[in-house]
Amino acid sequence: MGATFVVVLREGFEAALLLGIVYAYLAQIGHSDSRRYVTVGAGLAVAASMLMGVAVTILSGPLADIGPDVIALTVIFGAVALLTWHGWWMGQHARQLRGDLQRRIDAAHASQQLWMVGLIAFTGVFREGAETVLFLWGLMTQLTDLTGMAALLGGAAGLAGAAVLGWLVFQGGRRLSVHRFFAITSLFIMLLAAGLFSAGIGRLQGIGLLPGGEPLWDTSWLLDEHGSVGGFLAGLVGYRARPSALEIVAYLVYLAGATALFFPHVLRRRTRRNGPVVGSAETSRV
Amino acid sequence: MRLATSFSLLLTIALTLTFAAGLVGAADKPAEVALTIEKQKFDPAEVKVKAGAPFVLVVTNKDSKPAEVENKDLKVEKVVAPGKTVSIRVRALKAGSYVFVDDFNKSAQVKIVAE
Repeated sequence: MGATFVVVLREGFEAALLLGIVYAYLAQIGHSDSRRYVTVGAGLAVAASMLMGVAVTILSGPLADIGPDVIALTVIFGAVALLTWHGWWMGQHARQLRGDLQRRIDAAHASQQLWMVGLIAFTGVFREGAETVLFLWGLMTQLTDLTGMAALLGGAAGLAGAAVLGWLVFQGGRRLSVHRFFAITSLFIMLLAAGLFSAGIGRLQGIGLLPGGEPLWDTSWLLDEHGSVGGFLAGLVGYRARPSALEIVAYLVYLAGATALFFPHVLRRRTRRNGPVVGSAETSRV
Repeated sequence: MRLATSFSLLLTIALTLTFAAGLVGAADKPAEVALTIEKQKFDPAEVKVKAGAPFVLVVTNKDSKPAEVENKDLKVEKVVAPGKTVSIRVRALKAGSYVFVDDFNKSAQVKIVAE
């Protein structure tokens, strides 16, 4: 029971975390009425996960061999693109959002953002969705004995646990000041996306599309990514105990690019320090 | 927006590569290694492959529940539905032994020895 609880909790955690952030984000920019975009995105992802689960059991041949890889890669790089876009957008508008000026975001701009938010919810849930569906289905076929029941119960508890975590993130995120919320989530999204990008590159290496793949170092003695703590870190910030050289390069390149995109005001403020003090009144207000 | 465009471009390139590799893969036919999952076990429990050459695991699941053949280090993670056979591409390996597990039932393991 404990094992299935941990497996499902880990699979569901990332999705729950993203959903919590996205819901809190909508609350922060004063668009709580648009929650349905996220709910629809997440709901569609659950449906797509089930469809994928069914497809995997029905299809065979090349479609079943390559299909899941293509879909996994599409979802991974799609999620990276969406998260990058979102982080960039938050970086552009962080200044406007400071103080209590959420309303300043013009409605048109914000509504253009909403289907993106729905898509983020979709990719977040769909990424591990099909796998979780199949895992739970596998548990259900073992319902004949008591251990089977306990395992399914553990799986359900794991799903509930993930939902609770997501809810806590939502509640916590909603209560933060807009400024702090944007700063924290920008950093988190950047690390998450860097980890995803690196994972996508690693996967391309795994199927032999990119050269290399041998690990550059091994820190599994310190923190094993297959364990519970390492597993969560793997999902959150892309921790790898045995990363390949290309995975490390991908991670660093992404971080460098994203820092410039997500935190433009940090760079700008630094240059301003040397020049005339424009807008110092504005910054001191924060 | 320019950023979103360049990322879509990247995505398209990645996808094209994947499809291309699928075609190339079909052409150069890497060695196939057959495995069966039956009664929650891999059969055989140990197989030998050539080091330095990519190969394909052809896994047949004879059980009534889905299995997920996995080796996180090699980025292999593939569901094999009950009664189905799935081919899994594995990159060229350095000499050594690599353990693959059924992620849905960790007690089922198969050791792949590259030499």
